[in-house]
Amino acid sequence: MLSILTVLWAALCMQTPDTLVAAMLSAPRDLPTLKPAEEIKVTGVEACGAAGISEAVKRFTGVQVKDYGGLGGLKTINVRSLGSEHVGVFLDGVQIDNAQNMQVDLGRLSLDGLSDISLYNAQKNVRLQSAKEYASGQALHLVSSAPRSDALWLRVRGGSFGTFNPSIVWDKCLGRIGLRASAGFVGSKGNYKYPYFDTTLVRENGDIKSLRLEARVCGTLDKGSWDVHLYGYGSERGFPGPVIRRASGFPFSAERQADRDLFAQMSWIQDWSEYWSTAIRAKYSNNYTHYATHPEKNPMAMPYDLHYLQQSAYISAVQSYAVDYKWSFDLAADLQWNSLRSDAFLSRNPRRLCFTGALAARYKAESLRFCAHLAYQGARDGGEGEPLRAWMPSLSFAWEPLEWMELDAFAKRSYRLPSFNDLYYSLMGNSSLKPESAFQSGLDLFIHTNSGPWRWEGRVSPYYNRVSDKIVAIPTVSQFRWTMLNIGLADIAGLDLKGCATLTKSDFSSSLTLRYSYQSALDHSMPGSLTYGNQLPYIPRHSASADLLLKWRAWTLSWNTLYNGERWSRSANIADYHIAPWSVSDAQLSRSFELNALGRKISAVASLLVSNVFSFRYEIVQGYPMPGRSILASVSFQI
Amino acid sequence: MLCIAACTKDLEPSKDILLEGDELNLKGFGENYRKLFVLNEGGLGANNATLDVLRLQRGMYVRSAFRKMNPAVSGGLGDVGNDIALHGEELWMVINNSGIVEVVSAFDETEIAAIPVPTPRNIAFDDNYAYVTSWAGAYASGTYDDKGVYTITDSSNPKGCVYRINLKTKKVEGTVEVGLQPEGIALYGGRLYVANSGGISSQLPPLYAYDNTLSIIDAASFKLVQTIEVAVNLKSVWSDGKGAVYVTSMGNFWDAHTGLYVLYADNPSKVALVGSGTAIKPEALHVSCSYLADGAVYCIGTEDEFNWSVPHNYYIWSCKITDYASGECTISLYPQTLSGTPYGMAVVKASGAEADSKHYLVLGDAGDYFNPGTVSCYALEFNDGEKYWSVNAGVCPGHFAIW
Repeated sequence: MLSILTVLWAALCMQTPDTLVAAMLSAPRDLPTLKPAEEIKVTGVEACGAAGISEAVKRFTGVQVKDYGGLGGLKTINVRSLGSEHVGVFLDGVQIDNAQNMQVDLGRLSLDGLSDISLYNAQKNVRLQSAKEYASGQALHLVSSAPRSDALWLRVRGGSFGTFNPSIVWDKCLGRIGLRASAGFVGSKGNYKYPYFDTTLVRENGDIKSLRLEARVCGTLDKGSWDVHLYGYGSERGFPGPVIRRASGFPFSAERQADRDLFAQMSWIQDWSEYWSTAIRAKYSNNYTHYATHPEKNPMAMPYDLHYLQQSAYISAVQSYAVDYKWSFDLAADLQWNSLRSDAFLSRNPRRLCFTGALAARYKAESLRFCAHLAYQGARDGGEGEPLRAWMPSLSFAWEPLEWMELDAFAKRSYRLPSFNDLYYSLMGNSSLKPESAFQSGLDLFIHTNSGPWRWEGRVSPYYNRVSDKIVAIPTVSQFRWTMLNIGLADIAGLDLKGCATLTKSDFSSSLTLRYSYQSALDHSMPGSLTYGNQLPYIPRHSASADLLLKWRAWTLSWNTLYNGERWSRSANIADYHIAPWSVSDAQLSRSFELNALGRKISAVASLLVSNVFSFRYEIVQGYPMPGRSILASVSFQI
Repeated sequence: MLCIAACTKDLEPSKDILLEGDELNLKGFGENYRKLFVLNEGGLGANNATLDVLRLQRGMYVRSAFRKMNPAVSGGLGDVGNDIALHGEELWMVINNSGIVEVVSAFDETEIAAIPVPTPRNIAFDDNYAYVTSWAGAYASGTYDDKGVYTITDSSNPKGCVYRINLKTKKVEGTVEVGLQPEGIALYGGRLYVANSGGISSQLPPLYAYDNTLSIIDAASFKLVQTIEVAVNLKSVWSDGKGAVYVTSMGNFWDAHTGLYVLYADNPSKVALVGSGTAIKPEALHVSCSYLADGAVYCIGTEDEFNWSVPHNYYIWSCKITDYASGECTISLYPQTLSGTPYGMAVVKASGAEADSKHYLVLGDAGDYFNPGTVSCYALEFNDGEKYWSVNAGVCPGHFAIW
C-alpha cells in the first residue's frame, strides 16, 4: 500500500511518509484514489534547492509556471495547457481563491509549515474532500504538517538583489492539542541586470517587502481531529512593467501595490463509526489591495489609484459512508459567498453566491480501483442576471496487473466560472458569459522496481484535453475598451514522461529524476484565421527537467536543469512573437550539523544555492526579463 | 492623414527598395500614388507597433519597414502606434505608450527624429508646427529643459494638453491645456479643433465621467479661445478645408449612441448632428471609425453598438456638405456590408476615367486584436462581392497615410 503513495520525490529525498497519511490509509474506508502524478515532501523540496512553491512545481511534468520575474513578480501555474484559471490551489482541502481574476500568485505562498505538495493528473478522490476539490479542473494540493513535538525552527536566507528572508516556526504540544506560530519576512530590491536590446539595464521598481504571520491550533479527538488556522500576509511591492521602447527620461513604471490578506480557516473531521464519517470546513477571508500608478513619478502612467476589498465566506460539509471494504460513497456540499468592492470602473461591487455539490463513489477490488463523481456548481451574482450552472462528471480507473505496474485511465469534465474581472471589470461587461469548459482524458502507466540498493520508477502519461467556450478578452473600439467573449477553443494532446533512479548505500545516496513533456496545444478558435491550428501562447512543445541529488554523510549536493523549448507569445506563431528556448540550471550545496549549545541539542543546516548558474538570459513572459545568476545563502536551526 | 502630397510617378531609388514583402495585384488601386503607409497599433505593453509599407507601383507589401530600416533604434517603433500623418516628405507617427512622436523619411522610413511627448494621441500640422494631443495632463504635466529632459510639475490635474512641436528643430515649444484625454485634432483657418474624450476619466474616481467638449485653440497665439459642448466621448476631428469641421462621438457604450457632428468655422457654437432633419434618422448613422477624403467624411458603423456579445455587421456611409450656408449635406449609404472587426479605414479616390465615380476603401481588420490582422481593399460605390486585394498586416492595423 505504501508503494502507492510513496512517491518519487519522497523516495528521492529519503523521507519516510508522513505518519498521519500512513495511518489514514490503513483505515478500511480510505479506499485509495489514483496516484498523484507529482507529489513532493517539503523537506525534500528544500533539500533539492527550491526556495518556494513555484520553484518546486515548475519542474513537474505538464506544468508551466508563468513568471514575471523577481520575487515580487506574479507567478501562476498552468497545468496541461488548461489555463491557470482552471487550477485550484487548496490548502488543507480549502481553496485559496480569488474571485476577481481566478488566479493564485504562488509567489505569495510559503513552504514554511507545509508537509507536502501534490498534483494529480486525473482527480484526487479521497474520503472527505470538499466539493470544490471535485469541481476544480486541476488542483495543487498543499498539506500543512501538524505540530508533533515542542520545537523551534529559525532560518535566515539572504543573497543577490538585496534578498533577505528570515523566518521562524514555533511548535508546542499540550496533550492532544498542538500549537504552531510562524512568521516570515521577505525583502528584495529586485534590481537585477537584464539585456535591453543592445545594452544592459537594471530592473527598477521591482522591490518587495512582505510579512507573513500564521497561527495554528490543532487537536485530536476520539476518532476525530480539528484544526484552526489564522493567516495574515502583508506586502508592498513595485511592478517594474514590461520592457518596451520608452522615450528617454520617462520611466517604464512607477506602479506600486500594497496587499493585506487575512484568513481564518477551520476544519473538523469526525469518524462516527468504522463506516461513517463527517468533515466540516469553514473559511473567512478578507483581502485588501491598493494599486497606484503614481503619475507624479511617471508622466506615462495611467492615473490609477484603486482600492479593492475582496471578501469570501465558505462552509463545506462532507459525509462519507463506507458500505464495506470495497465500496464507499461521499456526499459533499459547499456554499461560498464572494464580494468585491472597489473604486475602479464605476464602482461596481459584485457579489456571488456559489453552491457546489458532489456525489462521489469509490470501489476497490483485488487489483482494480474505480472512482467516479458528479459535481454540480451553480452561482448567482448579486441577485441579478441568469445563474451560472455546470455539471461536472468524472470517471477514473486504476489497474495493477503486476506488483510493479499500474495502469490508470481517466476522463473528466469541469468548468470554471467567469471571474468578476471577466464579467464586470471590463468596460463592456458581458453578462451573457458562460462558464469555460475543460474536458480532460488521459492514461498513466506507472512502473517501479526495487533491486538491492537500487530503486527505479517510471511513468508514461499520454493525454488529450479540450478547452471550449474559452473566455477571451477582446477590445471593442479601442485598446482601452475591452469585453469578454466565450469564443476560444483549444485542443491539447500531450505526453508526460518521468523516470527516477535512486541508489542508497550506508552513508551515501543518490538519485536522478528526469522529466519530459510534449504538448501540442492548438488554437482552434477561428477556422480560416491566421492563428487556426497554431500552438497556444506560452506553451512549449517540448520541455524537460533533470534533478540530481547526491548525499554523503552530512553533505547534500543538488543540481537541477530546466529546459523550455521554443514558444510564441501569441497564437500567431510568427517570428515577431517567437520566444527562444531557454535552459536554466540551479545548484545547491548544503551541510547539516549537530550542535550542543544552550544546554540542548541543536541541528543546523547551512546551504548555498546558486540559481541560473550559467546566467542564461531569458524571458518566460515576453517583455519581462528574468534574472541572471543569483546566490542565496541560508542557515537554519532546529532547537 | 489629411496631407496628401503632390502626386508623382517618379520612382526615385530609395534605400528601402530592397525590402521584400508580399506581391499583390492591386487592380488599379493607388495608381497615382507612391506608397500606402499602414500603422499597426500593436497591443498595450507588448511593444509591437509596426509600420508597414505598400509600394503602390510594384504592388509590394513590406511589413515592419521601420524596424528593418532602423535596426539601430532599440525597441523598434515602440508600444501602441496611435496616429500617422504625412507632412511633405516626412512621415510622422504618434507612439502612445512609448511617449514618442517618431519622424521618418517618407522615401525610405529612416528615422529623422524621435520627440518625447507624454502619452501622445493624434497629430495635425500647419506650416511651422506639428500639434499633438496628449493625455499627459490626465496623469502629470510638466516642462522640458534645454536638453529635452521632462520634469513633472503637476500630477493632480486630470486635463490633457496639446503639444506644439517646431517642424524645423523637432523640439517641443509650448503646450496648451484642453479637456479630458484629448483625442483627434484638426486645423482650419488658423484654429485647432481638439476633441476631448474623457475615456480614462470615465472609469476612474473621482469623476467617473466622460468629457463632451471640443476645444478651439488659436494656432498663432497658441491659446485656448473657445470650448464647445458637442457630445459625450469625442474621438476624431476632420476639417474638409472649406469651413466645415466634423467631430465623431464614441457614445458611452451604454445608452448614448455614436454619431457624427458638424460645425462651421465661422460660427462654431452651432453644432449639428449629421442626419438631423433628413429622411435618414441620426440614430441610424453609427460611427466606429472614420476618414476624410475627397471633401467627405466616410464612416464605418454598426447597429449593435451596445451589444458586444454578438457578431457584428458593419456598414459604410459618408457625409458631404453641399451648402455651407444652410448646412445642407449629402448622406450616402454604401452597399458593402462588412463582417469581422473593422479597426481602421482609409478612402482613396480612383484615378483616370473613374476618378469621379469610384473610391477605394482600405480597411484594417483587427481579427482577434491580439494576433496580426489584415488590410483589405474594396470598391466603395458598388458591392461586387470581392476584395481587390488583401494582405496580412501587424496587430490592429488602425491608421493609414497615402503618399
